[in-house]
Amino acid sequence: MNRLPLSYPAALLVAAAALSPIVVLLLLGFEADIDLGSRATEIALNTILLTLLTATLATLIGVPLALLTTHAHLPGRRLLLVLLAAPLAVPSYLGAFAFFAAFGSGGAIEVLTGIPTPRVHGLWGTTVVMALYTYPFVMLSTRAALHSLDGSVVDAARTLGLTPYRVLFRIVLPRARNGIAAGALLVALYALSDFATPTILGLDTFTRIIYVEYNAFGLDRAALLSLQLLTLVAVVLLLETRVRVPRERSGRPSRLPCGGFARAGTALLAGLVFCAAIMLPIALFTLWLVRTGAAHFEFGYALNSAYAALLAAGAVLLAALPVAYAATSGWLGRLCERITYLGFGVPGIVMGTALVYLGLRIPFLYQTLALLVLAYVLRFLPLAVGNIRASTERLESNMLGAARSLGATPGEAFRRISLPLITPGIIAATALVFLEAMRELPATLLLRPTGFETLATYLWRVYSAGYIGRGAVPALALVIVSGIALLLMLTGEASRNRAMS
Amino acid sequence: MKRRSLLQAAAALGLLGPLRGLAAADTQPAPAVDTLPPLAGDLTLYLGRGEGGLYGDIIDAIRKRCPDLNLSVRRAPAAALVNTLEAEHRHGLERADLFWSIDATSLGAVAAAGLAKPVPNDILQLIKPAFRYQAWAAISGRLRTIPYNPDRVEPAQLPTDIMAFANSDYRIGWAPSYGAFRSFITAMRLLEGEQRTRAWLLGVKPHARSYGGELGVVMAVERGEVDLGFANHYYTLRLKQGMPDANVQLALTEHDAGSLINASGAVLLSDKPLAAQFLRYLFTREVQSYLMREAFEIPMVANVEPPAGLPTPIQPPEIDLTQLTDLQGTLRLLRETGVL
Repeated sequence: MNRLPLSYPAALLVAAAALSPIVVLLLLGFEADIDLGSRATEIALNTILLTLLTATLATLIGVPLALLTTHAHLPGRRLLLVLLAAPLAVPSYLGAFAFFAAFGSGGAIEVLTGIPTPRVHGLWGTTVVMALYTYPFVMLSTRAALHSLDGSVVDAARTLGLTPYRVLFRIVLPRARNGIAAGALLVALYALSDFATPTILGLDTFTRIIYVEYNAFGLDRAALLSLQLLTLVAVVLLLETRVRVPRERSGRPSRLPCGGFARAGTALLAGLVFCAAIMLPIALFTLWLVRTGAAHFEFGYALNSAYAALLAAGAVLLAALPVAYAATSGWLGRLCERITYLGFGVPGIVMGTALVYLGLRIPFLYQTLALLVLAYVLRFLPLAVGNIRASTERLESNMLGAARSLGATPGEAFRRISLPLITPGIIAATALVFLEAMRELPATLLLRPTGFETLATYLWRVYSAGYIGRGAVPALALVIVSGIALLLMLTGEASRNRAMS
Repeated sequence: MKRRSLLQAAAALGLLGPLRGLAAADTQPAPAVDTLPPLAGDLTLYLGRGEGGLYGDIIDAIRKRCPDLNLSVRRAPAAALVNTLEAEHRHGLERADLFWSIDATSLGAVAAAGLAKPVPNDILQLIKPAFRYQAWAAISGRLRTIPYNPDRVEPAQLPTDIMAFANSDYRIGWAPSYGAFRSFITAMRLLEGEQRTRAWLLGVKPHARSYGGELGVVMAVERGEVDLGFANHYYTLRLKQGMPDANVQLALTEHDAGSLINASGAVLLSDKPLAAQFLRYLFTREVQSYLMREAFEIPMVANVEPPAGLPTPIQPPEIDLTQLTDLQGTLRLLRETGVL
């Protein structure tokens, strides 16, 4: 390794770009001479409470559902799993929007049925809605942990006379603990970064106040709050690196007999959760469509969304390939790869704030589509790099070694061995980035060029103006986009699982 | 009924005019849209939204009329656009030709930052004299009112001084996070001073209930959840439009922040003649009566009647709307008193 690999300059450039939002915020934070006062403590407290409560509630929903989908013998288990994972693919603003419009006095439920419902609002409202859309993180990670358990241990415990419930609490759950924790931490990360749910449901968390301050006082205060939020994110990410999910040598799949009562209870929970998280928004949006029709909606909004997302997907691909390649050749490349993962922890609203500031310093980028695409690239690059890397893991290093020893240059080995093997991963990653970018709200809100309206920003506009009925078409369009994203994620997962086994 | 409210409205207008000793005689009638030439060319409009859809409808109508007009619209909350305009100015990145906003606070802030170009005289001539400012053009007015529930409140007992509500035992609905409420508090700070405003907020707070917006306040008054509230006039008129028997009436205070007339308006940001031409469209009879009819806003031109159903007499305080810029001070006060 005397010569610097060709991919390095590109990978370094991408890594530098990925670092830029954080550097910009740090500079702005050092410059700013602002006292946020006691308000800052209150916001931090709200944010931390929301994070803890959401993680707890998501765990309370996710773990039973994981047990149900793993252990109970139900017809159509595969479909059930897809349906229960679906809330993960729904952007939070659609859910929050639907709950905001459905509940409370004068809400859609009261208008339709006459039954008064409490307003979904504040800390509890935000916790419930957020948990409804994040529990699949816990469910999926717990399932993975349950699958890796050795069934003979469970059987041994049973033959020694433990009741199924005791087996559950003394044998199964303790060993799935780290898997559950990994899922809960993902929920926590989501709760910290999500902008739309607390903003719509009126809880003053960092993301909400960053937007308020950005709108009321300007960038400096927004940047300072962004830095504080990033500190919390860093804590969660640090915890996440500490959680190791141990893999047991799986003897045979574990079986846990479920009592009828437990099974019925969990099935009820599953039904309730699915109705609230998926059926309610779809029913509400359909109702609006029937009532208000498609008036005021312009097809151009969907085209704008697709256009920006397409540019983002292309740009992410161009940026991800050298990084994924560099990561296979040396520590500096691996470092570059690590750095690109930073974007994963930067909430959209923070990314938006940082890039608005960057744009003001780089006039030819200011208020251009390029800056918006850059935000998408930095946010979703980890998704692509992760996907591409996952498929390179299939690649056994001795294959490359063999190619090299047969005289292939590193570039040729990459082109002829690695690339064909990772192409499916690349396609899946690109499509995923495209779909994520289509739905992105907070950064788009801050960074879009003048007059550039997307599905998400149009939905935000009708929400802010109070004409929520007009949101039917964009909301349903986004539900469809989310559905496609979900299928893609699950098929990706399935093919990866096949490849591993 | 209709004739009576028309008469009342006319009386209100009469009181608006001479308030500052200005005769309405030099006010020119608003032209019909047909007399204006179609617009052509590139124009960037920053739209500080509030009642979102309506302004959008007006923009769409103008676009339809002027196919050669290439209009880019940037929509965001008014305060955000003020920040954007200031930041763009600081970095030499001016993009907008015109800023159209729902509240005078944001317009005053842009003018105070030195970004405003003077409003052409022919446009000023169309505006009621009490609302003529050099730096920005007032497009429509909104009046602070006291919506009350006639089952619970005897109108004759209502204080005519806004400050007296602090010592009353009415249950009061307010919306501290709403922009118009904040402008109302800013006006109170200017008229009564910081100390009295703080005392007022602390006095009202124990018997007040907060709502997310002022339509919520009016609905709560109607339901009897609170006895009365503080809200812009049009929320009550809109509620009554959909619900003619709604159990809510409007009262006014005298010469204080309680009957502030705030204005939406526009600032010219570039010398482009097209920007001023666009502004002239907003002062046509059609646009002014559209705003009155659809949003119940008070027109700023002489030859369009204000909406029916406003109480009389309207006795607004003497205040320069351009001075309502200290939003930050108001927010600080609202936070310190625990209202927000």
